[in-house]
Amino acid sequence: MMKILAFAGTNADFSYNRLLLRFMKKHFKQMADIEIYEVGKLPPFSVDTSLSEQTEVWKLKQKIKAADGLVFSTPEYDHGIPAVLKSAIEWMSYHTKVMDKKPAMIVGVAYGRQASARSQVQMRQILISPDCNTNLIPGNEVLIGNVRDTFAKDGRLVDQKAIDNLEECFEHFIEYIQIFQNVDKGELNMAVKQPTISDAYIQFPTGRLSLKEVQQIFSTIPFEVDLIDSTDHFAWYSDKPNREHVRNTASLGETVQECHPPMAVPAVMSIINSFREGKKDVVTRPLWMNGHRSLIQYYALRDINGHYLGTIEFTGSVEYILNLFENGAWDKDATTGASKKTNDSAEEPEEEMAVDASTGASESSDDSDASEDDTPLAADESGLDATTGASETGSVDAEDDTADASTGASENDD
Amino acid sequence: MKIAAIAGSNANHSYNRMLLEFMAHHFKDQDQIDVIDIRQVPMFNESFKGDAPEVIKDIDQRIKAADAVIIASPEYNHSITSALKSVVEWLSYKVHPLTGKPVMTIGASTKDQGASRSQVQLRDILISPGINASVYQGDEFFMSNVTSLMDYDGHVTDEGTIHFLEKCMNGFRFYAKAIDQMNKEMNNK
Repeated sequence: MMKILAFAGTNADFSYNRLLLRFMKKHFKQMADIEIYEVGKLPPFSVDTSLSEQTEVWKLKQKIKAADGLVFSTPEYDHGIPAVLKSAIEWMSYHTKVMDKKPAMIVGVAYGRQASARSQVQMRQILISPDCNTNLIPGNEVLIGNVRDTFAKDGRLVDQKAIDNLEECFEHFIEYIQIFQNVDKGELNMAVKQPTISDAYIQFPTGRLSLKEVQQIFSTIPFEVDLIDSTDHFAWYSDKPNREHVRNTASLGETVQECHPPMAVPAVMSIINSFREGKKDVVTRPLWMNGHRSLIQYYALRDINGHYLGTIEFTGSVEYILNLFENGAWDKDATTGASKKTNDSAEEPEEEMAVDASTGASESSDDSDASEDDTPLAADESGLDATTGASETGSVDAEDDTADASTGASENDD
Repeated sequence: MKIAAIAGSNANHSYNRMLLEFMAHHFKDQDQIDVIDIRQVPMFNESFKGDAPEVIKDIDQRIKAADAVIIASPEYNHSITSALKSVVEWLSYKVHPLTGKPVMTIGASTKDQGASRSQVQLRDILISPGINASVYQGDEFFMSNVTSLMDYDGHVTDEGTIHFLEKCMNGFRFYAKAIDQMNKEMNNK
């Protein structure tokens, strides 16, 4: 179903514009999933606002990315849109392209006969300004005036003409969104049909893989992988089902600052910078995610000469592995069976247990890294990874709880 | 002439605030220009309990004490800043110091168009019934590419710009006097 994010363009306790959106949410529930957003939650726009106050701004950007279309419900104050709505738009167009080409529609309610005509004209101008660049649906004006006659006391829109017009305009808007989505899909299919892609093989020094195999390997291994490239842009993520971090292709190409909650950015940057400067190769963070024990490991990606290529985030639930361990999978009897499968780890039979996840992970980096690179990992095997991380990227792990809390919060929202 | 000059940006480094401060200095022999900083003004909310926040009462008094008002506005998204709109909304709610006041709009921008769209919009906002200011319609002072006309400390370095600003101020002083007289005559009737 179509996902619509609807902005109640006011911070007043009572607002007919909010009532209109609530009416639309109910009335159109079979056509679209409408989420109402309160712009009063955001801090007033200022270029000098500190990062810590911008968490709500970041959350809104994520909501916009996930939405198929935007609806703005605007009152009129002094011939214009309310400052609080303008402030929200300034946030969504400052150092971000989050509204770029996003289908948008304007509705509005006002006490008087002229409805909110002037503020809607202004809103149209604002939404097509270069930094917003929304895909604003032409025409289809929803101007509801004389609220006392058009709304019932319980907040229902009761004027039949107004309802007819609203239905017609909103249906057009949904069609408008579909048309543009189909155009985009058409282009994507063209790209897939190009023969060079389906025929291509990558010749590794250790063997040959088709592109399809590469894709499916990443989708099959029980850990998800994300890549931040050497210019600190989110370049790629593995298409694993049921990811711990739900990613959206709309975020690809974004900077680290854009695709993380503001509070988490300093910690993430300090990890990336420690990799870039060669001070560290791995940072490990065990934590609870989505109700189970998970492990996130960041690895510096380097070429064979050690030049920094980017940062890999390697994330997965370790519940399965921990259960195996807790049920004695590595106890005397089982070892033979287990060690047959993993020859490498059989060399260190005494210490395997708690280390398994990290050893497993380090195997994957064996190919690209020089053999010495493994030693920091091997050295702090028995769960010491976390503390080592703390000493070197102090702020990251010291604030682990808070960082997790904020990350967790936003992840839940996703 | 006593002029209250509102700097329509809440950024710490604002060319519009610097332009007003330059004017306060440059015209100090003719005018007493009181530059109003809006950085402390909270977001307007019509559910606010009470008259108005203290900072708005202060701005209200300073505008009432002035013969005329100048508003310098940047342009964000073809429009005035939310920070300035918030001030205007406060000043058209419980207090109405701009009613009948002669107002000139000016603007500085780092881009080519010099905040022209936001000024057109600001003029339209200022003549709305809740505000009802007497907006000076003459010379339009749009300062585009401001970084080439003003140094980082806020001195306007371009002679032509200074001349035009002086011409605009002359026109506005006459207009403000005429409006003042008109207001007095209307009050006598």
